Amino acid sequence: MSEFYQGMAEIFEVEESEMGPDFPLDEGWDSLAVVSTIALIDEVYDRTVSATRLQECKTVGDIEKLAQE
Amino acid sequence: MTIGSTPIASGQAVRVDGARIAGLVSCIPPRRIDNEYFLEEFGDSVADTTKMTGVRTRYWVDEGVTASDLCTAAAVSLLDDLAWPRDTVDAIIFVSQTPDYRLPATAGVIQAKLGLRPAIIGLDINLGCSGYVYGLWLAMTLVGSGAAKRALLVVGDTSSSLIDPADRATAMLFGDAGTATAIEAGDAQAHFILGTDGRGADNLIVPSGAYRSAEHRSSNDPCKLFMDGGEIFNFTLKSVPKLVAETVQFAGLPIESYDAFLLHQANAFMVNHLAKKAKLPPDKVPMNIDRYGNTSSTTLPLLMTDDLADRLAREGARLALFGFGVGYSWGGASLEVGPLACVKTISYDSGR
Repeated sequence: MSEFYQGMAEIFEVEESEMGPDFPLDEGWDSLAVVSTIALIDEVYDRTVSATRLQECKTVGDIEKLAQE
Repeated sequence: MTIGSTPIASGQAVRVDGARIAGLVSCIPPRRIDNEYFLEEFGDSVADTTKMTGVRTRYWVDEGVTASDLCTAAAVSLLDDLAWPRDTVDAIIFVSQTPDYRLPATAGVIQAKLGLRPAIIGLDINLGCSGYVYGLWLAMTLVGSGAAKRALLVVGDTSSSLIDPADRATAMLFGDAGTATAIEAGDAQAHFILGTDGRGADNLIVPSGAYRSAEHRSSNDPCKLFMDGGEIFNFTLKSVPKLVAETVQFAGLPIESYDAFLLHQANAFMVNHLAKKAKLPPDKVPMNIDRYGNTSSTTLPLLMTDDLADRLAREGARLALFGFGVGYSWGGASLEVGPLACVKTISYDSGR
């Protein structure tokens, strides 16, 4: 599993096996999770993503796409 | 004397000669607020928020006590300890976003309370997290230029009066404090980098209460503090590691020669991440947000009077200071501090 998905599993406090591109961003996708995700993307991809655009994401796969744009 | 100024990527780079810090005192209100206080409002999410912010306790003023009261108490203690006669202070600068009045400037209010000479330089600066670095630069510049032989920099905020008690992102984060720093002429050199970017003004703001009174996109009370934590974090990621690198480079000393790197105590998660990204040795990045919360412009002096007090009193230290946040505004400083005749944290006694 990639560093990005490992990190997302930690942020949502789920097993790594449960984390994947289809993981929905509903419960637990709050301001704290957004900030943690910004930090993760900074660490993994060395870039910053807009918090506003991050909040518009529906799944973890959307976040990955945003991070790789 | 100010030696030129050069625009570089992070901001204006300025070297200031001929001024030194003589001492500093922080003053904390006595009312301690533990995280249990928030359980009723926020329930289980208190633990999650604490994990991120790192704040376990913070101190809030009682009603009727302002930042200027805390700063005045700190200044009284400082002037007494340094044995500075009141009439030897030539300038007072108050840095705050929670002044006593919209007008007049609070610097004069503190001047009168302290019994300083009635005809000195006095002004307020409206800055938050970057404010201590800006205040230090201006006070040292006044002294270095000869405009003042001794200057008092009073920096304080009572953010508890701004926070929206229903906003989890800010209600648990901020603490109150006031500080006083004495600057006098001396054979010393300090390097500063100062920057501003008002394009981020909307992301950390009290939208109402002054003269623009715009409707704001958030549904929060427009008289209370609004913070877009994600955007603020993005701003720090882009600006702070660069500011750290450029400040160290501008001062021209190797990173190993620094005894401590003081980062504005924004929140624990952010400070840890920024320190790592800036490649700073963790043992040289003191933290005290767990005890005091984010005290806005006073986090840097509070690190000096708290975690570093013994060191600064005994032998002094080569410090790098970094303030960043609301504005956006930021400042970096590299300077030698101490040994100081007075460096301590006191508790506010309203009976004084």
